Amino acid sequence: MMNTALRPTALRLVGAGLLVAAGLQAVPAQAWSLSLAAASRRVFLHVGNGTANGDNGTINLVTATLTGAQLLSGTPQAMTSNSTQSGSLYGDGYTTCPTPSTQVIVGASYRRSNAANGPASATLRVTSPASLTNAAGDTIPFNQISWTVSAPGSGAPNVIPAGTFNGATQTLATIPANTYIENCHTFSYANSAVRAAGTYNGRVTYTLTSP
Amino acid sequence: MKPLRLPNTLVLLAGLCAGAALAGTHRLEDPLSHTVPPTAQMEWLPQTPGDRDGGMETWVRVNVQIDTRDWVGRSGRIYMVLPRDQASSIEAVWTANGPLRSGRLVSGERALVWAGTIAGDSLRDQIQVRLRSGPDWQSASRRLNFHFELDTD
Repeated sequence: MMNTALRPTALRLVGAGLLVAAGLQAVPAQAWSLSLAAASRRVFLHVGNGTANGDNGTINLVTATLTGAQLLSGTPQAMTSNSTQSGSLYGDGYTTCPTPSTQVIVGASYRRSNAANGPASATLRVTSPASLTNAAGDTIPFNQISWTVSAPGSGAPNVIPAGTFNGATQTLATIPANTYIENCHTFSYANSAVRAAGTYNGRVTYTLTSP
Repeated sequence: MKPLRLPNTLVLLAGLCAGAALAGTHRLEDPLSHTVPPTAQMEWLPQTPGDRDGGMETWVRVNVQIDTRDWVGRSGRIYMVLPRDQASSIEAVWTANGPLRSGRLVSGERALVWAGTIAGDSLRDQIQVRLRSGPDWQSASRRLNFHFELDTD
């Protein structure tokens, strides 16, 4: 009888000990925790004067003022710019466009926090109307204006390539996620035909999209 | 048979009770610790040539209260631990205002925040924590579960 009475007692004690040990392992200690959301997907674009990580409503003007002789020469004419933006907005303030009076800096970035946060790249485009027009309704085809690119000190000065406006929407560059690109655009007027006197205006619009 | 069984049981229970007194690493309770705000949103850091993808950052305040009742009189070192939750690392850099030490750790690591002989029932401090990571998360949000552990002498 003694033996049979003690066995269950001993088993119960061992069982209770194992339960305590299991409890110590299974219940985690409290800790401070934080629910953290990733930064929102973002595109950033500046053309000419811009503000790092902010809005800037400036619309810069690129101009060519031709004398009669220049008009008749048929020689392409360099255009000037009222942009004053010489420094990069790429965090280091590098002087990407040392002569902004003849250059327009174009910079763009696309950022996403994870692969499910948006497409792998964004697209930089420029849209131009068919023509520049003057007050009398005369026109100059927008394809009379083209641009070259530069980026002193950069290993990829053509990251946004040179081109000619086509009076429609053109794709300029594809920007991989979490990449910033920029260079300087210098515009010229082809001057391939004699035009009626007047001031011709037209606006091109650059867009950066990540659908 | 009877004399053998009872001593076995007693040895097991004695071992369980003596566990707290052994030198080693022990996870500490801090149920009253909390962050302000309770959730946080990362913001983009500027991209630079030296840090091309820029990464993300946010700041939170943490009111820390570590329960040390079970360890009064023991000497050792307390560490803050951030277990790795995904491949993308989080860096935490904090400034303490009270007894805890300021420091830095990356997920998967621990960092010393206190050393000495535990004198009271709790260790309290308010720390300002800066969290940074790369833009390489596996999801749009994640939960960071910090905790404290004690290495006793």
